[in-house]
Amino acid sequence: MAETVGDEFKRDRAAARPFSLKNRFIGIARVSPTLASGVIIILAFGFMAVFAHWLMPHDPVSAYPERVLKPPSAEHWFGTDGNGMDVFSRVIYGAKFGFGIAIPAVILAVAIGVPVGLVAGYRGGLLDEVLMRFFDGLRVFPSIILALAVVAATGQSLLNVVLVLGFLDSPVFARVVRSEVLSLRSSVFVESAKAAGNPTWRILFIHLLPNAIQGATAQAAVRAAWAVRISATLAFLGVGIQAPTPEWGAMIRQGAEFMVTGQWWVGIFPGIALIFLVFGLNLFGDGLQDLMDPRRRAVN
Amino acid sequence: MTAPVLTVEKLVKRFPAGRSGLFVNAVNSVDLSIAPGETLGMVGESGSGKSTIGRAILRLTEPTEGKITFDGRDITRIPDREIRPLRRDMQMVFQDPWSALNPRMRIGDLIAETMKLHLDLSKTERENRTVRLAERVHLRPEYLRRYSSDLSGGQLQRVCIARAIATNPKLIVLDEPTSSLDLSVRAEILDLLAEIREQSRAAMLFISHDLGTVRLISDRIVVLYLGAVVETAPGEALFADPAHPYSQSLLSAHLPADPEAKLSRHLLVGEIPSPINLPSGCTFHTRCPVAIGACRNEVPGAERIGDAEHYANCLRIAEGGNRIKPTEAA
Repeated sequence: MAETVGDEFKRDRAAARPFSLKNRFIGIARVSPTLASGVIIILAFGFMAVFAHWLMPHDPVSAYPERVLKPPSAEHWFGTDGNGMDVFSRVIYGAKFGFGIAIPAVILAVAIGVPVGLVAGYRGGLLDEVLMRFFDGLRVFPSIILALAVVAATGQSLLNVVLVLGFLDSPVFARVVRSEVLSLRSSVFVESAKAAGNPTWRILFIHLLPNAIQGATAQAAVRAAWAVRISATLAFLGVGIQAPTPEWGAMIRQGAEFMVTGQWWVGIFPGIALIFLVFGLNLFGDGLQDLMDPRRRAVN
Repeated sequence: MTAPVLTVEKLVKRFPAGRSGLFVNAVNSVDLSIAPGETLGMVGESGSGKSTIGRAILRLTEPTEGKITFDGRDITRIPDREIRPLRRDMQMVFQDPWSALNPRMRIGDLIAETMKLHLDLSKTERENRTVRLAERVHLRPEYLRRYSSDLSGGQLQRVCIARAIATNPKLIVLDEPTSSLDLSVRAEILDLLAEIREQSRAAMLFISHDLGTVRLISDRIVVLYLGAVVETAPGEALFADPAHPYSQSLLSAHLPADPEAKLSRHLLVGEIPSPINLPSGCTFHTRCPVAIGACRNEVPGAERIGDAEHYANCLRIAEGGNRIKPTEAA
């Protein structure tokens, strides 16, 4: 059968630039440098979290009383803290907590928020009002205060921190998905799905969800940054994770005490790590949003 | 005569007009019926309620009043849960194929969807049937793995048709299936529909504002004006002898293929009245060149014309005053 001009065009384009991860990355970097820098930062921290055990020169929780509060040196690149633990190793290990809290918290937030947004947007009416007003109510409280109160009341554990963050963050995803569904629900393909005999659950999850999820994907990265920040803040305030666990927030808390007496390295290095990961996740999220914005995409 | 597959009695659909408390009278007491295997064409200008009727028949919009009987069963008020299994037997093809298909589903999955929902088939059997359906609508099988954005309008409409015929339905509502397509593609789709009409026993409701298209495919034609039926006739009878003044002017606006043919045009005066404030009596009296005083007050019933199944709703048929003379045309 004859080949159309379109087929030829597609093949030519494919031949001109063979697919590889490197080319793919260069392509993304050209469209959105923001996204590319975010990817690099996140990958670096991801690498740290996954291979922490090989990267750490010392055990992050072994105390050396004879080496308390030593400034950065060849042996201890970032110095040692008040317990004589190696700050460099602890900063590396801390990446595990950053991802370990943020990823499950965001997954939980998506798992709660997305179905609520789908149902609220599709059904509309009273159900929509009730669900959305409840979620608005959640957003009225400053999240850090609410998180503090709930973690303090339910018990100080990593799991509780994850659950609280995930729950508090679900309204963001509900809103994003709901607004997409509102504009999609009257579209012809949804009516066509109904006319074909789709039950409501299939219309929601097979037809609406894949078309409504884009905005939420970009939000997920931004909200992961939020989760990293809030969990570190909780640890800094002494709620949730306790020192000597090598978590950045807890380390900054300890470092703050020594800042006054001049041992700056204890708090500065976990602080820098925290800033970079939050920054990287935000860049990634903003970059994704840019990429999905049709007005921007049209230029490129 | 065999029992009709679909009967619509006194169908009324009103939409609230914003927050004004007024109503848009989209469909006003429409009666129609379709026999098994029959193709009923429905013509009317935009705003005449064609699409609303099609959607109400399939319960995609709730009828305000009236009764819809499908396959011997009153489906006017049955809940969604009971409608869903019936959708196996009543399918729809939409006007705009670009927006009628989920952009995130593969073409093959879209065609297989109705079978997945209604027929108890193994995965391989379903896939085989999908390929056969693609062949039946003249779609190359390699498109089955693609997404709708890779296909042209004509190809997409073939996909929609394949979806609609996959479960061998008893009724297919086609809402202007060719209106948004290029002329050359339009002919191909019409040929395909004619082919499917021969092969399957499906009855069709073919909605269009294009007389030429409707004439090609329909056994009988219904003419709508302001949400009401003004004339029902076998295709040839309508074109040979339109009885209602509105049908006469509608047909006179349709150019015949013969360039030598003498045209007598009956142009209508004025705009189509607002469906919020319907004219009294015969709703066409405000624009009708042959209207008399009685037309303002009296709602005309269906008058039988000749011995064919030809009916028109006009008061002046009885006395023969329904013909628009060329001199009377504005």
